[in-house]
Amino acid sequence: MYKAKVKLVYKQVIDETSESSFEKAIFKATYEEFLMKSQAYNPDGKFKTFNKLRESDGRANSLHYKLSFAAGHFIAQLNNKIPVIKDNLGNKLSFDTAHFELIESHTEDISLHKLAINYETTELTLVELLGEYMLLTQEDPADKEDAIDTFILRMQPDLSIVSYQAINEHTLT
Amino acid sequence: MERKNFLKTFALVAAAGPMILDGCKKDSITNSTSTTGTTTTATTTTGGSCTVTPTEEEGPYPYVGGEITNPLNRVDVLGGQTGVPLALSFVVVNTNDSCNVVTDARVDIWHCNKDGYYSGYANQPGLLGSKSYVGETWLRGYQLTDASGVAKFTTIYPGWYGGRATHIHMEIFINNVLKKMAQVAFSETISDAVHKSTLYSTHGVNPTRNATDSVFGNSSTDLANETLTLAGSITEGYTGTYTIGLAL
Repeated sequence: MYKAKVKLVYKQVIDETSESSFEKAIFKATYEEFLMKSQAYNPDGKFKTFNKLRESDGRANSLHYKLSFAAGHFIAQLNNKIPVIKDNLGNKLSFDTAHFELIESHTEDISLHKLAINYETTELTLVELLGEYMLLTQEDPADKEDAIDTFILRMQPDLSIVSYQAINEHTLT
Repeated sequence: MERKNFLKTFALVAAAGPMILDGCKKDSITNSTSTTGTTTTATTTTGGSCTVTPTEEEGPYPYVGGEITNPLNRVDVLGGQTGVPLALSFVVVNTNDSCNVVTDARVDIWHCNKDGYYSGYANQPGLLGSKSYVGETWLRGYQLTDASGVAKFTTIYPGWYGGRATHIHMEIFINNVLKKMAQVAFSETISDAVHKSTLYSTHGVNPTRNATDSVFGNSSTDLANETLTLAGSITEGYTGTYTIGLAL
């Protein structure tokens, strides 16, 4: 009956076209942090973009982490709710961890600053696939004999299953 | 100004708008003021026509220069970590200006916890196995130097991880420009005692010594200049002052 244990990741890309207060705050805070922290890998100011920086010095990949501290304060205010996608009833999904990713930036042009936050859910149970819709539950069906609470989520861009473990029917008995 | 009070104030200003408009005919002067990150632009007049500039919502996530202070701007960087207390004062001075102190310099510090792991990083190898502390910020922080050129931090004595002598990282910015990247080292006599004490004893003494460390080991003169002078004890904790010299 149950198909698999899964984890989902939703990737929220934030750039200069992003409109929500949350996105704008993270955009600004992480750009200012980029200007500060990228100097460690750019002593002569020779490089302008993040990708050129890390081509030159692999340690610049630390900027993913260093900028994440500037974003962490705002992410904490989400109370572990993914801000964009919702299930078919309009409820936000909960996330377990949020990973910050700097996609690109430019030391002289904020409009080229682009980042992503990857929200990963806790382990969910995929009950059924209904076309492009996933019937999911946060409950562990192995613990339930009666009906379980489920929700339906549509597959959509920037949403992916990043962990899949097929459920053997025998494991539920 | 708290958001609720700010909105109340704005409501009053908005209600008073028509009266202001009525009394203003020419010679407008625009004044901009900024208070703790909330920038309000107001148009005042000396008798000409004028309008009250609309006030826009700042949004619920102020941070950079906003009403909510950057959470890393803190004296106490513990964030729940335990260890032997360590109170540090960093004095920033200008070696090109008779060693006068430098005010408003941003001093960033970060170091590993008693078990040798850093906050914020995923999949860190270590003596307790692979650990991920993404989303956590403990043992990281920054302060601006005060009128005496001092930035203070309350933290714990660092532990250690394989391949490095015990250390604390620092970066110093002035007007957002990185002026110095540095690390401070510790007296091995004190480190060895701390690392054998109860909270650190799982690891014990750091096998990487200052003199053979990949960072500190290349110059005994530099090492001497980079080593913290500490006072205190394992029971009471340690205090120390380190002078950061910048050739500005």
